[in-house]
Amino acid sequence: MADFVQLVILGLLAGGVYVAVGVGFGLVWGVLNIVNLAHGALVIIGGYITWQLFSELHLDPFLTLPVDAVALFVLGYALQRGVINRIIRAPLLFTFLLTFGVNLVIVNILLMIFGSDFRSVTPSYSGQGLELGSIVIPYVRLASLAAAILLAAGLAFVLNRTRTGLAIQAISSDRDAAQLVGIDLRHAYAVTFGLGAACAGVAGGLIAMIQAITPTAGEPYTLQAFVVVILGGLGRVSATVVGGLAFGLVEAFGQSIPGSGSVFANAIAFGLMVLVLVTRPQGLMGRLR
Amino acid sequence: MKLCRLALLAVAAVAALACGGTGSSGPATGSTITLGAPLGLTGALTKESLLTQQGYSLWSDWINARGGILVNGVKHPVVIKYYDDTSNANQSAVLMQKLITEDKANFLLGPYGSAATATDAAIAEQNQIPMVEANGAAQSIFNQGYKYTFGVLSPANRYLQGVIDMAATLNPKPTTVAMLSADDNFSLEVANAINTYAPTKGMNVVLFKKYKNGATNLSAEVQAAKAVNADIVLNSGHLQEAIAINKAAKEQKLNAKIFAYSVGPSTPDFITALGKDADYVYDGSQWTPQVKYTPAFYLSVAQYVAAYKAKYPGLGDPDYHVAESTAACLALQRAIENAGSLDPKKVRDALAALDVTVFFGQIKFDSRGINIYKPMVVEQIQNGVHHTVFPANVADAQPQYPTPNWDQR
Amino acid sequence: MFLIAGAILAGYALLAPLTSLDAAVSANVPLLTDRLWFRIATYIAMFIVMATGWNIIGGITGYAAFGNVAFFGIGAYTTGMLIAKAKWPFLAALPFAPIVAALFAVLVGLPLLRLRGHYFAVASLGVGVAVGELVQNIDYGGQPLFGGASGLFLPIYSIDNRGLFFFYLMVAAAAISIAVTWWVLRSRFGYGLIAIRENEEAASVLGVNTTAYKVAAFALAASLTGLAGGIFSQWNVFINQDNAFPIEYNVQMILMALLGGTGTVFGPAAGAVLLQLLIQFLGGSLPISFDLPFVSEAARPIVAQVILGLLLVGVVIFVPRGVIDLFGGRTRLSLYYLRRSLRETSL
Repeated sequence: MADFVQLVILGLLAGGVYVAVGVGFGLVWGVLNIVNLAHGALVIIGGYITWQLFSELHLDPFLTLPVDAVALFVLGYALQRGVINRIIRAPLLFTFLLTFGVNLVIVNILLMIFGSDFRSVTPSYSGQGLELGSIVIPYVRLASLAAAILLAAGLAFVLNRTRTGLAIQAISSDRDAAQLVGIDLRHAYAVTFGLGAACAGVAGGLIAMIQAITPTAGEPYTLQAFVVVILGGLGRVSATVVGGLAFGLVEAFGQSIPGSGSVFANAIAFGLMVLVLVTRPQGLMGRLR
Repeated sequence: MKLCRLALLAVAAVAALACGGTGSSGPATGSTITLGAPLGLTGALTKESLLTQQGYSLWSDWINARGGILVNGVKHPVVIKYYDDTSNANQSAVLMQKLITEDKANFLLGPYGSAATATDAAIAEQNQIPMVEANGAAQSIFNQGYKYTFGVLSPANRYLQGVIDMAATLNPKPTTVAMLSADDNFSLEVANAINTYAPTKGMNVVLFKKYKNGATNLSAEVQAAKAVNADIVLNSGHLQEAIAINKAAKEQKLNAKIFAYSVGPSTPDFITALGKDADYVYDGSQWTPQVKYTPAFYLSVAQYVAAYKAKYPGLGDPDYHVAESTAACLALQRAIENAGSLDPKKVRDALAALDVTVFFGQIKFDSRGINIYKPMVVEQIQNGVHHTVFPANVADAQPQYPTPNWDQR
Repeated sequence: MFLIAGAILAGYALLAPLTSLDAAVSANVPLLTDRLWFRIATYIAMFIVMATGWNIIGGITGYAAFGNVAFFGIGAYTTGMLIAKAKWPFLAALPFAPIVAALFAVLVGLPLLRLRGHYFAVASLGVGVAVGELVQNIDYGGQPLFGGASGLFLPIYSIDNRGLFFFYLMVAAAAISIAVTWWVLRSRFGYGLIAIRENEEAASVLGVNTTAYKVAAFALAASLTGLAGGIFSQWNVFINQDNAFPIEYNVQMILMALLGGTGTVFGPAAGAVLLQLLIQFLGGSLPISFDLPFVSEAARPIVAQVILGLLLVGVVIFVPRGVIDLFGGRTRLSLYYLRRSLRETSL
């Protein structure tokens, strides 16, 4: 029984990271109809910023998260305004390919700057955890989950309670009508992408504490973001939170299948995603669009 | 250095095979020998490919400083032509073909990784040009009956056997083993070998768990290992997974008498990523700077380490990927010298008959083309420094056994 | 249209003067006698097959499948298993590659093709990834069923002039796929597919059996892609999850179709030739070498990748209808054209 509880806890904690990775991806996809294949690369940029600040200035990694957010927001805004906005009215496929090119550029620039060495952020309290009987809750992972939930809550707040956020929601309902009521589309699009990138940056900071990063380490996260967003459902931040946590649980239980069962974890995750798409495309919690 | 640039210019203009020689005062300089090496200089295998390149370069600098490889009284300078296969095995094949057809490479040096090596071995076979490789240890490549591929490194199944051998000498002797393995070819060979080897030394494998290659979240696997409470926790995988497992082991309070990972702990990145948490970890290594082999030619172990530090300062000691790559070049060099010719078939036969000891260890190939004669050594990280702990004749420190619990460190 | 055909043929012909003619081999009037060019040209032909195949479901029918590499891998493993395990001869095993791939497409397509737009794209991506994983890891009686992680080794095909043989085989496959596309676009089937792309509801109302048509298009795309995979397995002698189900091929085949022009006959082929030559050029595998100023030897491969990425971005932004637009004779590559495409798609 204790093992089962431990597994659930581990799954939820891992889910925290997936939530952080997913909310940014889902925002950009749901509102702007852009599938950002460079999302993983943006996440890793955040990871490197955190690592740089941690190793040079010895800042606590959680304190570097706001820096990640701001830096990636600026980068994302510029990227959208300068590059991606040019193909907004083109079919969906073009954004796939454009962001693929952007991904190639970012990963290789990171390779030039940081080299291919593996870097990790290991604060002094890493490895320690809360012990309840035989169940352990590592502090770093717990704090990451908290940070991810805060991030999602913050994003939801921005989307629902600020003027910018409402403008973004207006665009996602009806782009032309939004333009008619005076919303500056170019700016609003750029802000949306910037927000998505900021979330990616924070996710990167969290990831740097949990694993070792290298320029190509972001690729799997792009794929996982797909699954998270589909599982939860496009359209609402809370849906992506559910999706992320669910994915963490699926992964934890998938990997605990005895023997060689855990090698199917990826296949299970993607199979689940396909199943959800075919049977309930709006995801566990989303609205059908 | 200057000779290297001159040689490069020579290749750009001429690429003939002819063995010229005037031979009056001292050895004459013959044609350039071109060696081909496709590596994953970008993409997922960048880090390891760069280490391989370092190994090849160290040798090419040394041999060119001496004028080149001596063949029948004529010295032939060496040029190694590198290409980036973007860590894609199919691209490696294209580049191999280019090396053979366009660049007229005399001989081939192996790429990094078993997938690329398998593909390139087929091409070497079809073109009948010897390829000496140092970075693809999967035995399946060598079970295909290829005659033109030679691997200087110990095969995959040896990687963790040394750890078991060492454990058998320790007191109190560990009896149970938890084996975690990534699901790629190389890692599985390492792990499957343990499955059959450990019982012969009186140790039971109580857990055998495969996980997806490249996984970064291994909490469930560590949890499973915790549940069986094994004395020895082994991992067969790569650097990324070794780091993940070690971190998870500390977080989830997985304790064991021995933690040994097949790949990972030998790279400096492992220690910089984990800090003090890297202590006490063992790994099976192809080579360490502490081994005591007497080389028949080329540098001694100490000289090699010094040469590496001089050329690549700030990176610490050379890890075994660098050393094994240099060893591949040495094998080729000695085979060419023995054959007294640059003819691919003669060199191939010389490789098959080769038996020489260098700083890396004994290089001799079995009938399949892999080096089963060189032993693996076991290292342990003690206070942030690598030490060789087994076998006893090359050890420079005692193993710190048993590994203390996480709470007591 | 003839201009395009001419352009492609010219592309192949152009390569000839650059090769070193091996007198002993120039028996069969081959344009190419150099083994490296065979290999590169065979790759190009392979991508022509894949891009043209994708075009049928993605470009003509409008269902952007993002996991077609699954069919490539299925074709490769079908042929591979028949040759390696059942010891069939290559030419007997090859026809089964497209057949099995098509069957799989029907199986998977029936549920999947009910989805639209990006949902379909993501679902097909999921299938593509999952199939690769399953093939690598499924065990049967304790042993990996499909060769597992160590992959499948096929015997080296014993024939004189192997490179030439596989080159012609792959070119034949490319010719077949182009011919199939040409036939589709001229047939009632093709009109039905275009109708589905433009407005699926209207097409259905007009009597087009959309499900059957879509599944057929998907199966057709799958069979062509599977054929490429089947040839690849014997040509490469070794297949495993990494080289039979490479995820980047998904993007590459779409990119090629897009670059060349989706929905056209020769577009994907032109795109395949262009993109592959570009990738090979930047990767240094062509006999033409180039020098990047200010860049050190070590950084060259990385910079080459950056250039590739930037070029991709540039092309997607400025030439969204594909280069085929420029070969039709109606438009010319000019600043006006670039500005106009920009205005059409940007915000």
